Amino acid sequence: MAVGAGPAVSARGVTKSFGQLRVLDGLDVNIPRGVTYCLLGPNGSGKTTFIRAIVRLLRLDAGELRVLDQPVSRVEEIYSRIGYMTQHKALYPDLTAEENMEFYSGLYGIKGQDREVRIEELLRMVDLSEHRKRLAGALSGGMYQRLSLACTLIHQPELLLLDEPTVGIDPRLRKTFWEYFQSMAEAGKTVIITTHLMDEAERCQMVGYMRAGRMAAQGSPEEILNQAGLGPRLRLWLAQPEDDAILLQSLGFEAEIDGGVVTVTLKSHAQIKDVLAQISPQDIRLSEPRLEEAFLRLSEGA
Amino acid sequence: MKRPKPERVGVVALRVVRQLKRDRRTIALILFAPVVLMILFGYALSGEMTGVKLGLVDDGGHDQLRNYIASLNDFDILYLGSQSDAEKLISEGRLDGAVVIQPEEVRVLLDSSSLQIAERVMAAVQTGVSREVSIRTDSYPSIITRYIFGYDLEMIDTIGPAILGLVAFFFAFIIAAISFLRERTLGTLEKFMVSPLSRVEIVSGYIMGFSLVAIIQSATTLLIVIYLFGVPMKGSPLDAFAIILLLGAGALALGSFVSNFARSEFQVVQFIPIVIIPQIVLCGVFWPVQSVPGFLRPISNILPLTYASDALRAIMLKGASLYQILPDLIFLGSFFMLMFIAATLMLKREVG
Repeated sequence: MAVGAGPAVSARGVTKSFGQLRVLDGLDVNIPRGVTYCLLGPNGSGKTTFIRAIVRLLRLDAGELRVLDQPVSRVEEIYSRIGYMTQHKALYPDLTAEENMEFYSGLYGIKGQDREVRIEELLRMVDLSEHRKRLAGALSGGMYQRLSLACTLIHQPELLLLDEPTVGIDPRLRKTFWEYFQSMAEAGKTVIITTHLMDEAERCQMVGYMRAGRMAAQGSPEEILNQAGLGPRLRLWLAQPEDDAILLQSLGFEAEIDGGVVTVTLKSHAQIKDVLAQISPQDIRLSEPRLEEAFLRLSEGA
Repeated sequence: MKRPKPERVGVVALRVVRQLKRDRRTIALILFAPVVLMILFGYALSGEMTGVKLGLVDDGGHDQLRNYIASLNDFDILYLGSQSDAEKLISEGRLDGAVVIQPEEVRVLLDSSSLQIAERVMAAVQTGVSREVSIRTDSYPSIITRYIFGYDLEMIDTIGPAILGLVAFFFAFIIAAISFLRERTLGTLEKFMVSPLSRVEIVSGYIMGFSLVAIIQSATTLLIVIYLFGVPMKGSPLDAFAIILLLGAGALALGSFVSNFARSEFQVVQFIPIVIIPQIVLCGVFWPVQSVPGFLRPISNILPLTYASDALRAIMLKGASLYQILPDLIFLGSFFMLMFIAATLMLKREVG
């Protein structure tokens, strides 16, 4: 299928209330194709509601929403191109892992040899090959989650919507998942993931930070750090810290002294050599900013 | 074992009350379901009948008896010219019984498929005759009873066919309601919604899947009723089977529909008295429809079990063909279609 020109998901002024509570409040966002996109935000910020709006499990009060170049009102026509994994795992506990996958294959009309190959491949990816004959209900929480993901991927969706997919998954397997998501993005598919975990967000190519039903910030992790005015930090151990700090400040650097150590906050890594051209530290340590700090700062500003 | 502490009991009780307070549906059911059921049982068991369709052939000689029967509120009297007319109408199901009055004898023709009605007609004739005898002693007619279907039926024979329907209906309803609800709570229904599967496909798939269960269940119950209880099967067992399946399909669709109103298995169970028991009371099996007061009859007339038990009795006890029970078939078919549409439309409300 040809990859369309427009963004995977574009929202303008998207609004949804449940009673008095306005869950989405004029949300604007453009999610390009072929990226891993993380919807980040505290509980109740509207992440799940937005995902449900994309697949039209709820109707919007206002705003425009397009999904794979279709207005959301016609998203039913392209359900076969969308994979959606809810927070409920949507599996049948009284069927085996394999039977669950066969069931979902059936929904998408995948059969025969093709079906066998895909089930085999996905079960291997989620590390459940040995458990294919086990009842889903007898699997551990993490395994159940992995099976649910495998079922969501069975029809090789062009747009993948995953609501908190890595909850309860161990770090090693989480890495495998992320590699898989990356490879999907490289193949032109779009992966949208909700999470409240910062380290997950840092793995995504793009991050949208939601607060109170709006996009508080979005872009690549680097762009968000810049938006929040956070850059890499240099900690410098110097012979004359006071003098050097004043020198750096006079050159326009953001430098502070703390217990004889000078900390310089940079705008980019390129500035490292500019700093070192001025001073000769005895020891240096570089620390990268955390997205978490950026969001805290952006939240305070909002 | 530790003694239960009143405080802890109180804490638990309070929690239960608090939960209940937020569950208005349960409160409503707890309050109203028993009231409704008691009213239904009370009326059905009160024993007064109206609207029993009774044919009367009067060849003279017993005017007092005729006047007495005609004066009773129980019967809608149809005056007929001959006994053969009466027999024909009874076998077609258009009369519940007939009384043929002749100078020497009174013949009571009864439809044995409803024993309660037969008993009521007999009682009226006997009372009428004894009243007449108390006034004039010159002629004492003999009373001859004839069952039109030629054999004496036991209670189980008349109730058996309807129980078949009831069992099929009850289980199909519960299975469908609970499993549909489970789809909802497991999140699989939501996943269906975001798949190429249409709503009609979802509901049809469900009904298809459970039809298999219904087929097995209908077959076993049919065999039990025939072989264990010895209920006659004068018509085609396949026809009876078809009726049970059609009724079961309606119950599956109804269950799917009703599951939309339940948020938990707990609530599904509470729908049982609302959906099932009125059918038991009002379908005319255990208590004849004629004993249901007029204002409740419209309810009888919209309950699928009323039609299914009528059809099953006709097939099993009178050997009726599907053509002869066409109205029942039409009703059951319409009921299924209506519930199917309702269940499909309700799924749409998921999107809200």
